[in-house]
Order: sequence, then C-alpha cells, then structure tokens
Amino acid sequence: MSLSSAVLDYLQAQPGVTFKRLYLQPPTVLAVLRRMLPHLAKNIIMAMLFMPEPFLEEDLLTWIRAEARPQRDEAMTVLEQLHILTLVPEPPTPRAYRLNTAFASSLRQALMGGGSTNSFGVPADKDAPGPKRTVEELDKWARKQWEAILYYMVGSAEREYSREGNISSGTRKLLEMGEFIIMRGGRADITKGGFTFLLQEANAQVWTLLIVYLENSESVSSIHTKSKVIENQSKDIEQLQMDPVEMLSFLFMLGSLELGQDYNTESLTKTQFHMLEDLHDFGIVYHPPDARGRFYPTRLATTLTSSDASLLSNPNSSLSMNSGKGSIILETNHRIYTYTSSPLQIAVLALFANLNSCYPNLVSGKLTKKSIQRAVEKGITADQIIDYLRTHAHPQMLKNQPVLPPTVVDQIRLWQIEGDRMEATPGFLLKQFVNANEYRETAQYAENLGVLVWRNDREHMFFVTRIEQLQQYLAKRKTQAPRR
Amino acid sequence: MVKAVKGILVQCDESIKAIIEKIDKENGNTFILEALDDENLLISSGKINELKARLKSVLTDTVKEHEEPESNSDNNEMR
Amino acid sequence: MDGVDATVRGSVRTSSAAPPSLLTIILDTNPLSWSHLSSSLPLSAVLKTLLIFVNAHLAINHANQVAVLASHVDNVAWLYPTPDDGDASKQSSQTNGHTEVADEHRVVSNKYRPFLTIEKNISKNLRNLLTSDIPSAEALKSPPLLAGALSIALAYANLQLLKADPMTSDSASTGTGAVGAADLDAHTSALRTARSGHQFVSRILIVSVSQADLSSQYIGLMNSVFAAQRLNIPLDVLRIGERTAFLQQASDATSGVYLTYDPPNSTANGTNGAATASFSSATAGLLQTLMQGYFSDVAARKLLVMPGSAEVDFRAACFCHGKIVDLGGVCSVCLSIFCLPLEFTSCPTCQSPLRVPKSVTTKPVAFARRKKKKRKIGDGGRDSAAGTPVPN
Repeated sequence: MSLSSAVLDYLQAQPGVTFKRLYLQPPTVLAVLRRMLPHLAKNIIMAMLFMPEPFLEEDLLTWIRAEARPQRDEAMTVLEQLHILTLVPEPPTPRAYRLNTAFASSLRQALMGGGSTNSFGVPADKDAPGPKRTVEELDKWARKQWEAILYYMVGSAEREYSREGNISSGTRKLLEMGEFIIMRGGRADITKGGFTFLLQEANAQVWTLLIVYLENSESVSSIHTKSKVIENQSKDIEQLQMDPVEMLSFLFMLGSLELGQDYNTESLTKTQFHMLEDLHDFGIVYHPPDARGRFYPTRLATTLTSSDASLLSNPNSSLSMNSGKGSIILETNHRIYTYTSSPLQIAVLALFANLNSCYPNLVSGKLTKKSIQRAVEKGITADQIIDYLRTHAHPQMLKNQPVLPPTVVDQIRLWQIEGDRMEATPGFLLKQFVNANEYRETAQYAENLGVLVWRNDREHMFFVTRIEQLQQYLAKRKTQAPRR
Repeated sequence: MVKAVKGILVQCDESIKAIIEKIDKENGNTFILEALDDENLLISSGKINELKARLKSVLTDTVKEHEEPESNSDNNEMR
Repeated sequence: MDGVDATVRGSVRTSSAAPPSLLTIILDTNPLSWSHLSSSLPLSAVLKTLLIFVNAHLAINHANQVAVLASHVDNVAWLYPTPDDGDASKQSSQTNGHTEVADEHRVVSNKYRPFLTIEKNISKNLRNLLTSDIPSAEALKSPPLLAGALSIALAYANLQLLKADPMTSDSASTGTGAVGAADLDAHTSALRTARSGHQFVSRILIVSVSQADLSSQYIGLMNSVFAAQRLNIPLDVLRIGERTAFLQQASDATSGVYLTYDPPNSTANGTNGAATASFSSATAGLLQTLMQGYFSDVAARKLLVMPGSAEVDFRAACFCHGKIVDLGGVCSVCLSIFCLPLEFTSCPTCQSPLRVPKSVTTKPVAFARRKKKKRKIGDGGRDSAAGTPVPN
C-alpha cells in the first residue's frame, strides 16, 4: 500500500463539508497539494491559482496534449474527488472550471504569506523555562518510541523478542483496532496486516498508524483517558469529542513545522492538545513532562508531508530507523548477510529468510523457497521483500547496478507466483449496454480512470473496481444523448 | 439500460476454473454469479474467503509438490 | 488461505511520483534597465512575484530545489543559496529565527518556514548587491553577463544532479584523473540514463530586461546552450521589453519557453501604482504569465502544450567582430563563423589554414557558396570518403 494512496483513500471517504473546513488551513492545503495530487494536477492548480476568471473547459483541453489524455482524466478525477475543482455549468456561458475558494485562498496565503491563523505553529518563547532539546535528543526519542511499537509487534510474532510494557495500553489497543495484532488469550499475535506494516518504510508506517488513529479517534480517546486517569482534568477529556478535521489539520501542520524548534501549545485547540499525548506516545512529538506549555515535533512529524521518493534519495533525512544505514548483502547464491545486532531487524529478516548463524555484529542466512513461501503465506508479498532488501542494502551493494542480483529477485517473484492460482478483485460488472458505441466509450472512460480490470468486447461487458464516477458519467451521457 | 452487478471478479486459468465450478456445483451453486469466459468468473461478494479455503484444500489434496532437496541449513536453523 | 490468491500482490500501485526538480533563476539586475521600468514594473514588484513563483515551485514537491543568480553589471552573484556558507547559513538563519523581535514572531507563525528562509536570503543578498558598489556609467551600459551566469547555473545544476544520484557521483569521483572526451561521453550518457530513470530534472529561467546587445558574448552563450541541450535542461526566457535574437535561439534550441512580457502602459496606473498595494495590474499579469507559462518542469512539459514563439531569428554572430551576420563564412574544421570578406589566412580559432578563392572573399554573393563546395570536393573528397564507416 502506497502511503499517499492510503491518506487519499481516507480523505476521499470524507463528506464535502469536511473538505470545506479542512481547506481553511494553509498547511493542510500545502500538504494536500504536495502529497496527494498527480503532477499534472499540481500544474493545473498553479495555472489557475492567480487566474481572474474560471478556466474554460475548452481552453484546458487545448492546453493539455491530446496524447496525455489518461493523465488528464486521472488528474481531473482526483481534483474533483477532493473537491478542489468544480465544473461550473452556466448555461449561457461555456463550461468552465473553478477552484474551490477556500482552497485557493489558503494556498495563496501559504505562498504569499500574511493572514493571522498561526497555522504554521507558534514558536515558544526563547526564555521559556525548562531545558532545550537538541535534534539528536529528539531523534533518539522518536526512534525509541517508534521502535518500541515495532518491537511489540515483532515480539508478538517471535516470542523471544517480546518486550511488552514499553508501549502504552492506548497504543496497544490501537494496533489491535488497526488489525495489526490480534489478542488471543492475553497474548498478542501479529496479523497479515501487521507484517505488511512492518515491511513498510517508516514514513508509510507512521501514516498507516495515524489513519487507524483517525478512524478510531472517538474510541481511542475514551480508552486512552481510562488508562491515564493520573491527570486531574481527565473528566474534561472524557467528554471531549475528537474532531477529525482538527486532528487532520494538526497532523498536516506538524508536517510543516521545523525540527529542533519548540512550539507553544497555547494556539492549539483542546482536541489537538489532547492529541499531543497520543502523538507523544508514538514518538511523533515530544511533549516535555517538565514544560507542558511547549512541544517539539520529531523527525517523524516533520517528514509527514514529504514524499517517499525524497526520503529514499536523501540519506540524511532517511527514516530507516530499523537499521540506520543499509547493512544487507545479498549474494547471487541466495545467501544473505546482515551487519546488525538489532533484534528488531533480525526478527524482520527471519520473517522471510532462513537464518542459520548469528555473530555479535553479523547474521547470515539463506533465502529458500520454503522461507519465501512461508512469508507469502503470511501475507507478505515478494515486492515487499525485494523493496525491503533494496532499501536496506549495504553501501557496497549500492555500487551494483541493479542493486540486488537479478537472478535472486526473479527467483523470489517466481516462488511467489508459483502458489498463485487466481486473482480476486471486488467491484462491479457492467453489462447490457444499449449499443456498441456506448459500450466502447464507457469502457474507454473506465480505462482512463484506471478502474477497468477486465473487458470482453464480444459480449459487451466489463469489470471495474469503482463505480461512482461511471454512474456520473453514464448519467451525463444520458442527458447529453438527446442533443446529438 | 446498463446493468451493474456487484461481485468479485476471479481471474484464473482454465483448470482452476474447472475446480471452482466443481466446488460451486457441490455447494448448491452459491458461489458463481456468472461465468464470464474461460478464465474469468464473477463470484458473489460474501463467499470469496470460503471459496479460497476450499480451493486451497482441493489443491493440496490433488497437486503433489515436488520435494526439492533443501540445503543442510534447514537442520541448524537459528534458535 | 491467501496462498492461492494473487490479487493483493498484483495490485500494488506503482508510484507515479514526479522526479524532484531544480529551478534556477537568472535575474538580470542591471540598475539602469530597471530604472527605465520603475514606473510600470519596479524591481521590487518583480522580485515579489518571483518569490511567489519560487514558493509555488517548492510547494509542489518536498524535494524540489531552487537557486537564484543575479547577473549584475560587472559580476554574477548568488542570491540563493549563498555560496560560501551554503547549507550552514540556511541552518543558522533558521535557528536564529526565534531570536528576532516579537513582530517577526507573528510572521513566522503564519508562513511556511522554508519559504521564509528563502525570501529572507534573497532579499538580503540582493540588497547587499545593489548597495555594495556603484558601477561606472560605462559598465551600466554594457550587456549583462548572461553567458557567465548561464555557465554557473549549468554547473550548479550538474552538481545537484550528481548529488541526487549517488551512483554517478561515485563513478565520477573515482575518475578524478584527466577527463578525456570518452569519459565525458560516458558521464553524459550516465546522466541521460539517470534522467530517463526519473531521478532529477532541472530547468533554468532567465529574466532578461537589459536592452544591450549580447553578440559579444555569442560564443560563450552558444556553448552554454549546447551544454544545456546535452544535459536536457530547457532554458526558459522571460523577456521584459523588446526581443533578443540569441536568447530566443537559446530557448528554441533547448526546447524552452520564450515569451516577451510588455508591462501595460504605466500612465494608466502610474499615478496610484507606485504608492498603492503591492499588486498593480502589471505584476498580476507577470505572475499569471509565470504560473501558466513557466511553471511546468520537464516531466510536466511532456503533457502540456507549451507556449511557443512563431518565428525564431536564427542568425549568428561572427567570431571575429561579434556582429550579427546574414551571410558568413564557416571554418570547415571547427565551424567558427566569420564575416565576409575574410581578413585572415588561417582560422583564428583552430589555426587551420583558410584558403578561400578570391571571388568569395571579395564578392559575398549567393553563388559563392557553390564554388566553395566544389573546391571542397576537389581537395578533401578522398579523405572524407575514407573516414566514412563502411556498413557491414
């Protein structure tokens, strides 16, 4: 699961009113622009941002090359789904696109400055009481907290690494609600979702967990307060409704903050202040116990709105915490050597490799058909394994082109597909079209949207994963048809 | 009028399709909504997990895996 | 249970993330030229507009980068990043942010930090540049140092490209010895493959206002253009004022965008324009031009119809006097261009003897070229035939 698509899916499920409120915050708009839109969509927005008039549909169509039609359909779809762009069908004038007013004004505000929303965080006073934290300390804190969560999950798979007690009960509950673990007789068992989670990049992991957190915001808040009755104001909190819009805005704001800078909590809403506690547990922010009026975003927070590509290309900002630096050497004979002493990494490796010897700073093993297929059975995909190996490859391996020996990569894939006998795709079958023309154009539209899975031109039917837009499209066709 | 049917598209090869059809027949035709062509079937949404389980058991019964000699590393797995 | 189902594994969405992109802006800061425009389009307003453009560029991708160069009267200066303490200054200015006065505080909380840093740096450096030394009147009239600025921009873009791709930088550092033509070829082809793998794209935007004639810098300019072409970097030109032939050629050769922007006549809003809001109609128009015409990077340009210029003036300048020539002579060895009639017997660039029949040197008429061709066939026909590889 790509992480921006995870966030995108979550957002698309939100009602239109939510968007209206979300787009009032410049950091949210900035994050949505940066993370969730296709490249072409960004260009369209920028061209329209300072345009005094709505963008005529006709002009837009001439501006984008004819051969870029799939990209255009994709971009327009996302823009409409996120309520950024609306088509204004005013009968006397030609059809034109208009940017969402809240979105446009927030984006202009972000680019030009001004306003007084305090939306990019209020830095704490320099002479506020309490010691300052350095970036190193924050990194250490974030790593410790986040790894504790990962340890907990791995520990539930491989008993010997179990280190329960390190993470709060709220987090534990959250992992359970996200179906990363299942509680069986007081013991946590890692699920398929959990394995997928483990092999993701850190940034993707953070988002995946945060989305579970958002989806379950109400229940989480109640669970959390029960476990934290230490505070006097717990009564207050218990009645608190966690507002998803405020939560999302806060997360996006965190993404625009600066590492190493402490921020004032005064400008936060109640919901957001409460979130600080949970995010502190995850290691996303550091809320010093001795200075409650301030908080520090950690690297996990400030990279929330960076893209995965930039994390990969920039080793300094890399969040591959499980290893720090790449340490895996994979040979063409399927043998694998890893310079590590981290039980976490060893545990992750053991998910798909046969480890046979362990030295103080080195583990060695072998990728076998059995070990790979065992992983596949658990729901780990070959691509995840390959990605994991590649992102954690030893610097010496990086000199090869391609990084991993192709024979091994192919073999891993072959081992996986050996067991694959079928593919199941939930969705909708469309059939009984009035004529060939309607069938052909609708199918073409579905293909451009990227929802078409299978088509049968002889029988005039096809299968799609999503139907909402096709319904709109067909309705639109109907109204247009008599005119022809 | 265009008709939309909600379901799960299962793409497989012909032999697997035959097995699925057999499973369907043995269970009162509750799995398959529509056989689309030689390699595609439309399965009712709620039944997919049961179908996978049944298919798997049929496959393990019928297909004999060729046992390849594993390397000795299997014997001294890390403990 | 899922051992038999391949769907989950098959449908992993491939990330279609666009490559990070570098935008280098070369701003012509000749004070004389800007003073002519001060009533309609003052430098401060243009700078503000450019900053919004830069912010927008940074906004769309976390990994996007920006560099700004000033091509000043007698030197080329970095506006961002500041060269001597590049990253360090960025760091310190960021951490110094909160030490400044309370008023600054309010601005900080309402503006994205990276944007703020860049704006501060650029305006500070530009102020330093404009106040530091007052150039002589003659220097002011001389053309801006565009060729120099372009070379610096290209070198910077190349550096960033190498940094973005550790693979090529590795191989480059191992070959520290004398770089032969073959190495260079290997290097560029490596860059090209890296580019085709969507590693990093970059483009250069030249904002040109000066009237001065660039023909004295022709050689340097064209060499930069060829380098840019090789590196696949489009040279975009925003010309404020009348056309310039060479900049148009440059953008045409590198498939960049060339547009001229004429600020609406200042008399209309000149009375209130200077005093009132930061946004006169001239700047708004400029901003829209930038955002629609120049915003897309190399990746997006494949999808969009870019504004093009109808006709391009392809005339060249001669190497001997730097004059624009309609009809000239070309050295058959190094392709240097000379105005006719020729004044020398050997090519001043490559020293190869130039033996031109009298008729050509004295009478520059159209059929002279045919004669020249004939002579070539007579002289070097054998050689060129031998040099042609025989297809097997």
